[in-house]
Amino acid sequence: MSNEIDFDELLSKYKSDPFDYVDVFAVHTGRVTFKVVEGEEVNAPSGEWLQVPGTQLYEINRERNPKIIAARTNGTVAKIHSELDGQFVEAGEKLLTIKHPLKKKEIIENILKEVLLLFPAPESAKYFFAMDIQSRIDKKGARAVTIDQGEEILTMSLMKRDTPVYYQGPRGVIHSIYFKQGVSVAQGEPLIGICAPEKLPIIQKIITRVKADWDTDH
Amino acid sequence: MIENNPTPEAVYQRLQEMLAREADVAGSPVDAQAVGRYGAFIGSVINSHDSLPRAMDHARSLIEKTVRAGSSMASGTVILADTMTQSKGRFTRNWFAPPGGVWGCMIHANTFLPQSRSFISLATGLACCEAVREVGVEQATLRWVNDVLVDGKKLAGFLVETYTEPVHGEEFTLVGFGINANNCLFPADLVDSSVSLKQVLDEKINLPDFTSLFLARLAWNFGLLYHEEAKGLKGGRFSGRDGRHMLLQRWQACSDSVGKKVVYGFDVMTAPDYQAEVLGVDDDGGLVLLLEDGYKKTEYSGEIRYLQP
Repeated sequence: MSNEIDFDELLSKYKSDPFDYVDVFAVHTGRVTFKVVEGEEVNAPSGEWLQVPGTQLYEINRERNPKIIAARTNGTVAKIHSELDGQFVEAGEKLLTIKHPLKKKEIIENILKEVLLLFPAPESAKYFFAMDIQSRIDKKGARAVTIDQGEEILTMSLMKRDTPVYYQGPRGVIHSIYFKQGVSVAQGEPLIGICAPEKLPIIQKIITRVKADWDTDH
Repeated sequence: MIENNPTPEAVYQRLQEMLAREADVAGSPVDAQAVGRYGAFIGSVINSHDSLPRAMDHARSLIEKTVRAGSSMASGTVILADTMTQSKGRFTRNWFAPPGGVWGCMIHANTFLPQSRSFISLATGLACCEAVREVGVEQATLRWVNDVLVDGKKLAGFLVETYTEPVHGEEFTLVGFGINANNCLFPADLVDSSVSLKQVLDEKINLPDFTSLFLARLAWNFGLLYHEEAKGLKGGRFSGRDGRHMLLQRWQACSDSVGKKVVYGFDVMTAPDYQAEVLGVDDDGGLVLLLEDGYKKTEYSGEIRYLQP
């Protein structure tokens, strides 16, 4: 976590441009056909279990196996590499960018993600807290739970195979929890945000400032 | 006196019988001898006990003791106990392990590629289902991920946990198994949903023989995972129909989950999430579900219960 946080700079950045620019890449090699055009609005997955797919963005076809890739966030197609339409692309090639309008809650989360130490998911799987950590959270709340380097903090569950996950990082409190029990987390996405105990007041100050500076939820 | 004390030789003999049968299948894309070589380490060491608190805990301490003594833990070591006093299922569920059952754990030094690791649970349930069918319970089926059912009642359950030993950081997979064999008494809350081999066959089975058979099937299925990995690494297709992974093909042949109306949940007993119909199993072993609103969802974790027989 950075020692120097320039609140004004952070806030003015979000004030002047309250959007996320989400790049969408080719999931693997193949021939790409776009399903959207620049300026088009796209929807994120919806439904109670996010079972309703988002707007179709592109189709990628490898060895006669077509795959539709849908939007994972809502917004507007800000930029599309239309020169790639119908072309064979490599895995990871940038195809388009979605301009996603940020809500107040997302702005707070984005700022926190910049200042907290994020502990990422080692694999795409479902996660739950280790029993000891969960009972400490139940008793005192997450922000009263301090974790140390090497401590077993989570269990990763994939195809009924449970793997303990050990915390790697400096000692700190669990400030933010980014996963829900029973909901899959993609590899590399943050699971928890950790903060040194003495820096908790600074974090609280950030949240208060954002709440005060943004009148509306949007 | 320890009742369930199969020998490594008995497991190997069972595996050889299986290899001979599989090698006789004309045109099989599976190299049975290679599968046998890949899987033969399972059951090469068997530690039988009259009672243990919990086999998984015993396995962890055995691994730690072994590596702290400067030795390597033998992959494929099997720990068995005639009874277990503190056995448990997933989450906070109890597992009842009285005399007469097959209770234990297999230690696997994790040398699988990530995709194969996801198939360990499937391979374990399949090994049990195949062994149960081989002793005459042909109606045994698999409920995703790896519950073995007979006429809708649970005959066996499995736990797969990863353990990283503290000296060198080597990762092991602990495959816990609980198979109701000759035990016929169940706690009141399980009596309607559990069944044993003795109840189904109406006679006692030879426990060490059945355990050898189960371990040989486990050896075959783990060998199959390595066999399919080798094919994949060479850039070839897997051995099943249309290039499907052979373990998935065999699992699906034993499972009755497809087409069933189910309730799904990460912990379905205490927190069921939604109802759906099972459409199939994808190439990663994930369960493809059709929700009531017509949309599909694929789950890679959690569990199901059938809403119909």
